[in-house]
Amino acid sequence: MDNFELLSEYYTFLKEKKGEGKKVVAFMSHDNIPEELIDAAGFVPLRMIFAGNDELMDASHDFLSPSTCAFAQSCIGVFSVKPERYKFLGLIDYFIVSNHCVSDICASEVIAKYFNIQRLNFYVSYTKTENSLKYFKIELLDLKRELEEITGTKIDNQDLMDSIKKYNILKKKLLEISNLTLKGSQKLKIFHKAMLYGPDILPKLDNIILEQLQTQISEESKDILLTGCSIFIDDYLNDLIEEGGGNVVFFDTWVGFNYYYQIIDEKAINASEDSIDLLVHRYEKNIYGDHSVPNFLERKVAHIENFSRNYERKTGKKIGVINHIIKFCDHMSIMSSHLKNQLKEKGIYVLNLERDYSRANRGQLSTRIEAFLEMM
Amino acid sequence: MTEFIGIDIGSLASKVVLLSNEGEVIDYRAERSTYDFKRIGHNLVNDLMTKHSLNRENVFFISTGYGRNTIDIADDRITEITAHARGAQYFFPGAQSVIDIGGQDSKAIVISKKTGNVIDFQMNDKCAAGTGRFLEVMAHALEVPIEKIGELALKSNNPAAISSTCTVFAESEVISLFARGSSKHDIAAGIHKSIARRVAGMAKRIGVAPLLVFCGGVAKNVAVKSFLEKELGYEIVTPVLNNESGAQFTGAIGAALIAQEHNGR
Repeated sequence: MDNFELLSEYYTFLKEKKGEGKKVVAFMSHDNIPEELIDAAGFVPLRMIFAGNDELMDASHDFLSPSTCAFAQSCIGVFSVKPERYKFLGLIDYFIVSNHCVSDICASEVIAKYFNIQRLNFYVSYTKTENSLKYFKIELLDLKRELEEITGTKIDNQDLMDSIKKYNILKKKLLEISNLTLKGSQKLKIFHKAMLYGPDILPKLDNIILEQLQTQISEESKDILLTGCSIFIDDYLNDLIEEGGGNVVFFDTWVGFNYYYQIIDEKAINASEDSIDLLVHRYEKNIYGDHSVPNFLERKVAHIENFSRNYERKTGKKIGVINHIIKFCDHMSIMSSHLKNQLKEKGIYVLNLERDYSRANRGQLSTRIEAFLEMM
Repeated sequence: MTEFIGIDIGSLASKVVLLSNEGEVIDYRAERSTYDFKRIGHNLVNDLMTKHSLNRENVFFISTGYGRNTIDIADDRITEITAHARGAQYFFPGAQSVIDIGGQDSKAIVISKKTGNVIDFQMNDKCAAGTGRFLEVMAHALEVPIEKIGELALKSNNPAAISSTCTVFAESEVISLFARGSSKHDIAAGIHKSIARRVAGMAKRIGVAPLLVFCGGVAKNVAVKSFLEKELGYEIVTPVLNNESGAQFTGAIGAALIAQEHNGR
């Protein structure tokens, strides 16, 4: 299934949901937005996991400077240009303005303001202290109240618990998939689909896996851990990696590990009476997300080193790390040289790959990727 | 007997090298790349084979450079990063680092002392600053032939300050320096200094160290070499082939050497 088909089917899916009277709540894709709460309120959560291109980035310059994160530019561009393949964005009823990073705030505010989409707010703290956990709970309760006011119905504790369990099952399944021997492009397609459709995809997931299992991976391919920024739908980066002879075996990004590792353990579910507290618990445990400071870098290095050692022990193969940095993502960009140097000291090869969504730099990107694979 | 060809299709120039079975450079040639990389590449290879009466089946050849994928008759392809690292070691066996400034991009490469393999590299962004194209635009603005701009720059004792790293803005800056009465050689020196500063900054970030080989077409420019040495704080070397600059052929030689290794396997 190509992306056009995926997006076209997603439009039909959303239309059906709207036909059932459900509202669509969109948000920039970061990993602390409580989609379970949105689901429990009877809304459809829509993650912005779409990559851009020159046209979309250019269109955003009516609203933001060109030196803004290329992903934020593209998110705005897609609302401005309204390409046919993204027509489902016209079905969005609400947009959550959040603060994963400066670009998240800017892009989500611009989208809500200039494209006449009603705004909801969900701000998160950068730390995991006692106070920030309290603050996170207040934000959850505020969002819950806002959602309840829209529907005129209370979100029942049990409904939220059921949603949490549904998403837990989805994430466990994705964790299983991530451990399968599949091509990176196959895993990525499954992640994209699962993160778009949510638990609705569960009945079809086993079939999707079976379909994907039919492709063989070359034994000569170089194994890659992708970290940094995600590869979103309609991005050609993974194609370049595979064309160059690489294979992403682990997606240490929003689309991938940062999403599916956020499984709430059964013990916590059984012990908790308040489902909101479970979401706070999950936020507290989300230590690998790039929103989590202090010690983001130390954790990231330890996590990648740990994966690398285990992978080598299991497969006998070394992995190389591609640190994908979307242009003007300051957080990733500033950390990149430190990440590279620290991993290099541990004997792990790292390619810092900074780029935007322009099609024009495809050649240069493929040279960097191929040279890195040759180096490995 | 098998012979080996390395062809480096750069954005501004295409270079081809013929290597003997013993690893000696038999012949080499460069031509300006046009929009039609494939035609230029095929012509260069065919001319070389005709001149030396070679049969295709007795030649193993590898393409490299920006247009490497257009040369569909090549037996294999490698990136210019790997090719330059290998080529630099042909000229200077103890080479530990490479700076390659070509027409469209610049690269810094660190080579392992132990294995001779690439252990790190950095390329410039999709921008002409710090590349041969930047020099071409500036030479045009100064109305100086590209071959002469380096010598002109070395006459200066007071390089003009060119603060812009963008080719378009730097060109405007050059014009305004003229308007303020700066001399041609001071402006030329400022231009070279700005390239050297940018490339040296990129190279330092990945830890280049002597023995550093400066290659690519821009390495023929004496002023870029001189300013790079000042920025880095040590002497750098450039390849010589038959008593003239071989800098431009480093990638093609590297590709031919790798062709020899691949064919030996």
